Amino acid sequence: MVVPESERRASPFVELIGGHTEEFREGLVRLSLHLQEHHTNPNGVMHGGVVTTLMDEAIGGVIASVRGMEAMFAAPHATIEMNASFLAGARPGDRVVVEARVLRIGKRVAFGEAEMRRDDGELLALGRLAFVISDRNSK
Amino acid sequence: MTTERRRSPFSAHIGAEMEELREGYARLSLVVGPQHLNPIGRMHGGVVTTMMDSALGAALMALRGDDAKRHPHATIEMNASFLAGAREGDTITVEGSVIRKGRSVAFGQAEARSGERVIAKGRLTFAIRTD
Repeated sequence: MVVPESERRASPFVELIGGHTEEFREGLVRLSLHLQEHHTNPNGVMHGGVVTTLMDEAIGGVIASVRGMEAMFAAPHATIEMNASFLAGARPGDRVVVEARVLRIGKRVAFGEAEMRRDDGELLALGRLAFVISDRNSK
Repeated sequence: MTTERRRSPFSAHIGAEMEELREGYARLSLVVGPQHLNPIGRMHGGVVTTMMDSALGAALMALRGDDAKRHPHATIEMNASFLAGAREGDTITVEGSVIRKGRSVAFGQAEARSGERVIAKGRLTFAIRTD
């Protein structure tokens, strides 16, 4: 099921860096970004923070897509752990896509994984994040 | 040794400032604004991971000096634990320290604080080009 655009909300931070939502449906979220000079590190390649930001956003989003937007805003989930492996670099001009899926959603904790690929299909990064689901409702 | 400051365009884009840089150590700060938030109005996790990557990359660059220009290093692994959140108006400080620098690999750790409170811890691994 595609989550209607009116129900989902992109992070202001992801808007700041220029990430686009390509696909947002229950269990799958894809974000893309056209790399520009301001996405680079001092070596002129994609900054690791671009990768981790998009992964955090995509996995947070895909967990929201399964939990439902109403449940998410009533009891938000927040990242508690992340790990990422950077397998290959990318440069300004490249388009990168992050795809995120849910591994498990429990009562208090949720897990998801993401991969980033360049347009030509090369795998650039892998990530896994854990989220805690707040217990606002039980207070 | 001179620690020439090569700025990170992405770090500058998000508004992080380099407060201190010396061999093997860097400290960055950022005031959380509305543009740094996630959909539930808290600081986005990507802000902290970006600052950690920048701090460690710069700390290692300062430690390696001219060699870093000939043989750049790149992050290959990073992990972070988010211990507490942050809100708009908070000042975030991230310190990065190199733990060990080998010939082809280097390790570093980072700590993020909001005021005195530790809000995140991270560890990063870098590959150093040897060709």
